[in-house]
Amino acid sequence: MITFWRVFKSGFRNTFRNAWLSSAATVIMAVTLLIMTFFAFSIIFVRSQLNEVQKKIDLTVFISDEAGEAQIKELQNKLLQVDGVESVQFVSKADALKRLEDSSEEGKKLAKSATDIGNPLPSSLEVKLAKLDDIGGVNKRIRDLPEAVIITETSFDSRDDNRKGVIENVIKISNGVTRVGAVLSVVFLLIALMIIFNTIRMAIFTRREEIEIMKLVGATKWFVRGPFIVEGSMYGVFGATIATITLVPIGRVAGQFLTDKFNAGSTVAYFGTNFWLIVLCMYGLGILIGALSSWLAISRHLKL
Amino acid sequence: MILLDRVTVIYPNKTVALSGASLHIQPKEFVTIVGASGAGKSTLIRLLIKEEVPTSGKIIVGSIDYDTIDKANIPHLRRKIGVVFQDFKLLPNLTVYENVSFALEVSGVKNAEIKRAVPKILQLVGLSEKAHHYPSEISGGERQRTAIARALVRNPKILIADEPTGNLDPKNSWDIIELLLKINRFGTTVVLTTHNKEIVDALKKRVITINRGRVVKDEKVGKYTL
Repeated sequence: MITFWRVFKSGFRNTFRNAWLSSAATVIMAVTLLIMTFFAFSIIFVRSQLNEVQKKIDLTVFISDEAGEAQIKELQNKLLQVDGVESVQFVSKADALKRLEDSSEEGKKLAKSATDIGNPLPSSLEVKLAKLDDIGGVNKRIRDLPEAVIITETSFDSRDDNRKGVIENVIKISNGVTRVGAVLSVVFLLIALMIIFNTIRMAIFTRREEIEIMKLVGATKWFVRGPFIVEGSMYGVFGATIATITLVPIGRVAGQFLTDKFNAGSTVAYFGTNFWLIVLCMYGLGILIGALSSWLAISRHLKL
Repeated sequence: MILLDRVTVIYPNKTVALSGASLHIQPKEFVTIVGASGAGKSTLIRLLIKEEVPTSGKIIVGSIDYDTIDKANIPHLRRKIGVVFQDFKLLPNLTVYENVSFALEVSGVKNAEIKRAVPKILQLVGLSEKAHHYPSEISGGERQRTAIARALVRNPKILIADEPTGNLDPKNSWDIIELLLKINRFGTTVVLTTHNKEIVDALKKRVITINRGRVVKDEKVGKYTL
């Protein structure tokens, strides 16, 4: 225990002996941790947005006012059997009016006028799809049903194939962000490893006389190596501290922006509630990167 | 105490540093090893602190057979043998006191024990007044005494002094030799290597002469002859 404390103290002291190298190692560590956190956030954000979009996009089948309740029920059952359909929900004329009313101030006014003229809104069946790319195919299969005579129009008819394109783009962006994030994270991880490796190598070189004396007076292998591992881990601790301090204001601004513009409240809230976990992860990762590069440097350059 | 049995050291470049050297040093002896530069004195010392391994032959120090000691135990071996060098090998950024306590710290000695042992040993070598000076602030002789204090602080059975007076003027050289004699009187085996004829002749102690890697002379009361 006493040896562990002495090793720790010695490593801590050594970190400050070569201030320039230590600063470079600390800064690159902070940048690496920030980049990794940023991409982790981006990936989760884009994925959650994609989920939101997917939830919103389904096929709405509008029903003619003349259709009877039994006919609608029958169509609903048939729709469920159509390949690619996950679920079907009936929205009556009254429900549609209610939704319009609740949607916004503008909607409220519109709903009021609609009520005045006897609710012209059609009832509808909302079809949730198993797979988004198949929206055109599902639409066609629905249209081909004999029960489809009561359908006046579908949401797919009126907007062509536009949404499919949008969805495909969102998927592409999501995959792109994941890939770019992974590549950049790995690149910066390697840069951090290399820089800390070299910092420790320089430290071993400048302290070779001290190392020789330590060996002569009978220091064990770990008494010589330990301080370098501590030094490497220190870069992780300082780097994570800088990254955390930087992250707080950026997180605040970005969080507000994303909540306002992208309706990403849940993702932002997720990061908010797990803030300390993220900080803990950064410290853990920083210490891991630092200790690992130190370990590599001493096993290569510190022959005992 | 120290036994070398037909020890040979041949370097990868085929240089023969020691060739079948045998010697036996008894506990509490004061032995001087002399020889021209390159005769093999330094190799001998590096063998004793296990910085080097012989190409052939046997080395036994105390009850430790150097063939059987594993790597992890080398630090423990070195703690039992104090070594002093011509160039002192002090850490410049530590004070006299810290340089000495450092040797105890690396072996896991408790702080209370360090606080007790270091002042005592500094008093023995006459450096109590300079305890908080840095090596750059003291004389060559004082630096060597610091190195001796560091070597002695762990109560080794053997003290090896590799040309300890090489960088010192005659007055300081004699101070160091007298200190080594004092340490020897307390019961520590001292192995001294030196080029200083005057010192060797005046000591009237056992002298082992090495030439071209061989022990060529071993006299109970020897003189410096090459």
